[in-house]
Amino acid sequence: MNRITVESTDKAEFYQQMVSQYGSPLLILDCDQLVKQFHALSGALPNIKLYYAIKALPHPAAIQTLDALGAGFDIATTGEIELLRTQGARARQTIHTHPIKRDDDIRNALRFGCTTFVIDNIWELEKFVDYRHRVGLLVRVSFPNPDTPIDLSRKFGCREDEASILIHKAQSLGLHVKGLSFHAGSQCPDSANHVHAIKQCTKIINDVFKNSGKLLSVLDIGGGFPVEYMKKTMDIESFCLPIREALKQLPEHIQIIAEPGRYLSAPAMKSVSSVMGKAKRGDTCWYYLDDGIYGSYSGQLFDHATYPLTIFSDIKETEQAVLAGPTCDSIDVISEQINIPPLSIGDIVVGHQMGAYTSATSTHFNLFDKAKIVVINQPVKSLENILQLNSKT
Amino acid sequence: MKSYTETLYDSYGQEFAVDKVYFENKTDHQHLIIFENAKFGRVMALDGIIQTTEADEFIYHEMLTHVPLMAHGNVKRVLIIGGGDGGMLREVCKHSSVEHITQVEIDDQVVDMCKEYLPNHSGGAYEDPRVHIVIDDGANFVRECPEKYSEKFDVIISDSTDPIGPGDVLFTSDFYENCKKCLAENGILVTQNGVAYMQLDEVITTAKRLQPYFSDQSFYSAAVPTYIGGIMTFAWASDNSALRTVTTEIITQCFEAANIKTRYYNPAIHVASFALPQYILDALATKA
Repeated sequence: MNRITVESTDKAEFYQQMVSQYGSPLLILDCDQLVKQFHALSGALPNIKLYYAIKALPHPAAIQTLDALGAGFDIATTGEIELLRTQGARARQTIHTHPIKRDDDIRNALRFGCTTFVIDNIWELEKFVDYRHRVGLLVRVSFPNPDTPIDLSRKFGCREDEASILIHKAQSLGLHVKGLSFHAGSQCPDSANHVHAIKQCTKIINDVFKNSGKLLSVLDIGGGFPVEYMKKTMDIESFCLPIREALKQLPEHIQIIAEPGRYLSAPAMKSVSSVMGKAKRGDTCWYYLDDGIYGSYSGQLFDHATYPLTIFSDIKETEQAVLAGPTCDSIDVISEQINIPPLSIGDIVVGHQMGAYTSATSTHFNLFDKAKIVVINQPVKSLENILQLNSKT
Repeated sequence: MKSYTETLYDSYGQEFAVDKVYFENKTDHQHLIIFENAKFGRVMALDGIIQTTEADEFIYHEMLTHVPLMAHGNVKRVLIIGGGDGGMLREVCKHSSVEHITQVEIDDQVVDMCKEYLPNHSGGAYEDPRVHIVIDDGANFVRECPEKYSEKFDVIISDSTDPIGPGDVLFTSDFYENCKKCLAENGILVTQNGVAYMQLDEVITTAKRLQPYFSDQSFYSAAVPTYIGGIMTFAWASDNSALRTVTTEIITQCFEAANIKTRYYNPAIHVASFALPQYILDALATKA
């Protein structure tokens, strides 16, 4: 169930102003918050290069803001490459992390200038033989994590004992494996699985060198850094402390990289939707919002997230209510069995932590327009910045 | 200070200081940029790969032009595939014996853009009355050419981009087979074939693909500074093996008769460029 905060109506002024200016529904992307998240994670993971997983929120303003901070980008598709190209992101600062690719996907990434790819099986490895002089590969190892809402080691990743076999096979094909990667899970409650994975990868890296002399130089520790939705989560410093400790066991030459998506983008966006209709059904008041499960709240389905909500009312009394989305489908319910003060048509509902896997997975079902994304606090680009962006590749 | 980093290889690359950006296009699923560099003058790069620079383009263009034209000795008709920057055209036009030049470029905007931003490459060659520009896919042109046109070509020069990207069709067996059909007796096909030390696979693949259609095929080479990683190879294919071993004396006679001014090419370079390092010979020997 969503946590719903009731605030006085005067607190709604900013959102009402945004709605009167841009319409409803909206997603408000706050670049300042993106910057804060980046600095918080960089601070907790010093000397670790962060590659923003743009799948979480593939928005030009997010790309530009993070690019200006020196972030790299984790890409998975040709569409994501196109976005980076048009935003002038430097291809050398990108890694392609989809373990399964078509030949065209590989070629498009190479044409863009991305030369780091991830593989986790022999068939994928063989796809790179034609490009063997150009690429550097990461072998993705699976470390299942039953404690996370999304276990990212189920669909992808080789077994630990397969990693050295793949590395050996790559060598015989003339391909360069430069390191390992893993995904400890998404929205991890703690970093125990990261620590376990780092420990095991350290062992693989050391064994590979001992057995074949092959030097690995990169460890990609993936993402999984949690943000607070409904449950209290660990602060990022406490979460990363055991990771930092575990990384000390790695050989000194290993470069550590990470692929945060959710942690950077989720807190940077809020949803603003409006009550477009209401009905009394039995004892329950149904409020139909202009955004829902098929739109910005799609993450409640696909991402298993439940977003904190705010409504604005000066009435103390509450009644049982349902917040539903606008489409014709019954599944399109954001929150039910909640007790809130009565709302009027036109009232605003704000969703928090809605930057990751929200608009990214929203649909056009019923041909409802997707929520418009409004960017605030975007760093003003000076002329010099624009010129620099233009010359980057 | 702005810079441009080539992204051809994961573990190795070259970087240019960018003094000024003249042109940039990041739409149309590609990234094209022309900028000023203190050492190389105007530099054009496509999709993270250096295509040509004002300072060292003469090596590439002279070697792809004068080697086949001098070896042949009596070239009247030349076909250039690609070469939108006009550098190849400029070199071919230096040969007064050439009567007809067809250049096939896939995109007319490339020609216009290069005329504007790399004017020294074509050096006015596009205005030469012997030149016929065709806007078409080079692979398509050579496929249809034998039916559409009765006259064949003495030399075909394939001035393509990298095999990953729009130029990929110019490295296929079909393309080589169709080029063969467009060549007159004693005709020669030459193609840019990448930097062998970095991309030895490309040399082997091209050799394999040319073999079924030409009784004599090999490579010659030149070092072009901004095609980094050692010597660049040019594929050479013909049915007349004698053309590959013309002596320095005869080349010298032809060169003097042609009265052409060059900066890299000369008869001694011509003959020497067919000498290949052992690692390439070994790779070619094991290709089957």
